[in-house]
Amino acid sequence: MKLVILGAGPGGYVAAIKSAQLGAQVIVIEDTEVGGTCLNKGCIPTKTLLATTELLHKTRNSGEFGIDISGQITPNLSKIMDRKNKVVSTQVRGIRSLFKSWGITLIEGRGKVISPDKIEVQKKDGSTDIIGADKIIIATGSRPAQLPLFPFDGEHVLSSDDALNIKSIPKTLIIIGAGVIGCEFAFIFSELGTDITMLEIMPRALSTEDPEISETLERELKKKKIKLMTGIKVTGVQSQLDGIHVYLEGGKEFVAEKLLVSVGRALNSDGIGLETAGIQKGPKGEITVNEKMETNIGGIFAIGDVTGGMLYAHVASREGIVAARNIAGADEKMDYSVVPSTIFTSPEIASVGLKEQQAIENGIKVKTGHFQFRAIGKAHVIGEITGFFKIVSDETSDRVIGVQIIGPHASDLIHEAALAIKTGLRTRDIAETIHSHPTLSEGMMEAAEDVHGEAIHVPKK
Amino acid sequence: MNPEDLKYHKEHTWARVSGKKATIGITDYAQNALGDIVYIDLPEVDANIEINSEIGEIESTKATSSIISPLNGRVIEVNEDLTETPETINEDPYGKGWIAIVEIDDVAEVNDLMDASEYEKYVEEEKK
Repeated sequence: MKLVILGAGPGGYVAAIKSAQLGAQVIVIEDTEVGGTCLNKGCIPTKTLLATTELLHKTRNSGEFGIDISGQITPNLSKIMDRKNKVVSTQVRGIRSLFKSWGITLIEGRGKVISPDKIEVQKKDGSTDIIGADKIIIATGSRPAQLPLFPFDGEHVLSSDDALNIKSIPKTLIIIGAGVIGCEFAFIFSELGTDITMLEIMPRALSTEDPEISETLERELKKKKIKLMTGIKVTGVQSQLDGIHVYLEGGKEFVAEKLLVSVGRALNSDGIGLETAGIQKGPKGEITVNEKMETNIGGIFAIGDVTGGMLYAHVASREGIVAARNIAGADEKMDYSVVPSTIFTSPEIASVGLKEQQAIENGIKVKTGHFQFRAIGKAHVIGEITGFFKIVSDETSDRVIGVQIIGPHASDLIHEAALAIKTGLRTRDIAETIHSHPTLSEGMMEAAEDVHGEAIHVPKK
Repeated sequence: MNPEDLKYHKEHTWARVSGKKATIGITDYAQNALGDIVYIDLPEVDANIEINSEIGEIESTKATSSIISPLNGRVIEVNEDLTETPETINEDPYGKGWIAIVEIDDVAEVNDLMDASEYEKYVEEEKK
């Protein structure tokens, strides 16, 4: 069985390896680099920069830990970028060598579906090829969304892709969009010394998160002297000699050296032959798929960002596995009920399952438990005490139905909750499980206890 | 222990009235209950504030707590020094740890607040 995959991002490359493991002959077509947005322009490079700025922050505050440092502590942007590029290229080589070991053919070029069994490839060397296929997976991903009012120029008006490759640290930066990407970059640039103003159209930062999470994060932005204006509509952007001018509804105006536009992602569903092959698209250009990741055309599957929905690398990877298994003859459906999500701000944010408001809207009788990081010994040990755990449970069954965390290592701590929800555990089960001391994980246990008003490290109410 | 010349609000804030202006802060009981204060989110100058409403937040090593306004008015000055050294509130809650100066809407309203001895009784009740 010959499988052709368009795109080698976290959806496509995982589907490729899984299919090869299941015995398929796999060809992957990629026009940039294996690893896709996640590895080359997203998750990995941003977190590498964040690792640098976190270390910078700790070094600057080393006095609190009893370490005297003399001399200047200065970020060196070109070395920071070198390290980031090295981390990325190591991972890229890793995927390439995995492909080799599983006998997967990588074609560098741009693929286009002609029919359910034919794909045209515009190769990087300029030649064109037609490849036959028994099955096809489309995994072409997404790119930074651009607003017609202020197109990216790569120099002054930056996309998140551009922001990862800046040559100098801007003195001032305006960020339009206080969502995940905007907030992550705000913390990174702020530590590098950039004066930041964030403009958000919604009434709060990270508007899809629990309001308590947004509130805590907004306080952290304030502590870092990152200015945030919410409920703001931008009416125009103009590049002038003294910088980028951003005009707001109501006549206000801001000027900065650079502008980062982070207003979401656009789907890569154009120019890949969907119309020719008769593949259905939804209103946002997303490829319509069923739970088995099949498009409306037999033998053609689609996975990842290009199908819309949750634009997460880990969702794309899981969809890739489901598609690969179904191609190999299984009858597997994608389950989106337990998808952890993580935001790498300072502190981190993580969420899984239902938020309190969502649960209430679904008619569930909700009981919540809270626990503050500042009540955990280990949080004081590491000097990071901001944040809390919030458990949302079904009052009738006591089952855990959602957990939100803002605080140090939230991205690692969330998976206990993911497993609890996936396996239908009750808050009692978490509360009655001994959690090791001294760890941040104790917070999950205490939040579970707090659902029943029984947390130990909470004063009498 | 609580200064006689101040007026006290049940959410553990105080007001020192002088003419149409009042200096406000949190009480000794409040700073003690919070423990080591590590951060304060001050109200903004020019903001209109309302009695019983949140005007800022305080974070200690143990808790985060709202600062509740003891009166209605407009903020004319805030204690910027607290941004760098919030622990001043622990050290001197009625002096250098003041939070804001407010122009009072209606000075007569201040009489509704507790005096020092009433506040002390109130705190004793709270502790029980």
